Amino acid sequence: MILHNYDLYEDCYRVRLLASCTEQSLELINVNAFPGAEEKTAPYLKLNPLGRLPILEDKDLCLRNLSAILLYVAEQDAQKRFIPKDSAERARMMDWLGFACDDLSVATEARAVALLDAPGDVVALRAKVRQLFRILDDHLTRQSLKGEPYVAGKTPCLADIALFPAFALCRDFNLDHDEFPAARLWARQIRMLSGFITMPGIPDYH
Amino acid sequence: MTQTQTPRSQWVPVALSKMIEAGTSAGTVVNGAEIVVWRDTAGAAHAWEDRCPHRGMKMSFGFVRGDHITCLYHGWEYDTSGTCRYVPAHPELEVPKSICISRYGTAEAGGMIWAYTPLGTTEQDPPPVLPALEGVRSVYMDASVARVSDTLQQHSSAPAGDDAALCNAITLTLENTVVTIGLQQISDGQCALHIAVPEGTAPVTKEALLDWCEDLRRTVEGLEAAA
Repeated sequence: MILHNYDLYEDCYRVRLLASCTEQSLELINVNAFPGAEEKTAPYLKLNPLGRLPILEDKDLCLRNLSAILLYVAEQDAQKRFIPKDSAERARMMDWLGFACDDLSVATEARAVALLDAPGDVVALRAKVRQLFRILDDHLTRQSLKGEPYVAGKTPCLADIALFPAFALCRDFNLDHDEFPAARLWARQIRMLSGFITMPGIPDYH
Repeated sequence: MTQTQTPRSQWVPVALSKMIEAGTSAGTVVNGAEIVVWRDTAGAAHAWEDRCPHRGMKMSFGFVRGDHITCLYHGWEYDTSGTCRYVPAHPELEVPKSICISRYGTAEAGGMIWAYTPLGTTEQDPPPVLPALEGVRSVYMDASVARVSDTLQQHSSAPAGDDAALCNAITLTLENTVVTIGLQQISDGQCALHIAVPEGTAPVTKEALLDWCEDLRRTVEGLEAAA
């Protein structure tokens, strides 16, 4: 699997984190996204006309939708450890995967405005992310009461991996973790997963 | 119907005990003052000014190792007295005792961690006396403590017994359970409610309380926005 990667993009980190936690190797092709905007040059637009990263290539496959990439990498894991076998739990996982990749794209946007000179209103975006993190924190509080520490059940799933970067990186656009105690404990569990890796902005507590 | 003790005590609840696990830290704010709440691996809770004297980095971004908390920025380590004990850039250095972080008086009662505020004041009253309680959740609201207190008075059922030791806390009877709510003023327009119930309260009751918390947040934020 080839990942067209930019180290500072959280969406690329999501894929690297998943591959690492599933003990799979990715061939990284580093793209000069900032300040070069290489993903918007002709060769890259041929791979992804949307002009975005990450892009995952594997044999004849070329994927550019984040959920599709994550699901594919999770399914290539021989153990399929992050895909629940139970259909209801799998549906819950897909529900939260959608929250992570679709709804929480405002967090990616907020961070890009704060750090990478992208256009946008960081105050308005931060307020939206805060509302979404409240939803996550409310949910994790209920999960914990049920004895289920992760978003879809008792064990970590693909949605947990996909959600982690947005929460871990929100200080980059000045949204603190203070108001989300359940999410803070959950994030600590994710940090302890076997194969966990960090990216710039996510501290490595050496 | 509620009772609040007036004047408010200087002991302020800053977190639920169970949410600050041993070896972890979290940031919070009381009346604009940033506080790091952390628990050493021996289990003792601490509330300090959330600022490393070296470069001003928030200590809550750092990490706990044993009975030391370490700044994320340059790794300066502080012991439980707030005194800097190790500077990684100068491993041979005997660190001057004058490098230290200001601490709040800290206590645990009723399933909550309490800090004596404001920073630098001598404790005039003993820590709150509350029965052993189990934390349900902390809920953060964009509303003043006064707005929340008023709303609780209008919406609550019959009061539980008057406990003079309660400070910055309200007891209510909800779902046939005595619920203790610690009130933390974050700023004029923001507060946190730390919700605790008697140990052994049924999960179904706690679940109903979670609904109640979310409804209350919606109600008071609606009132605050309309004000």
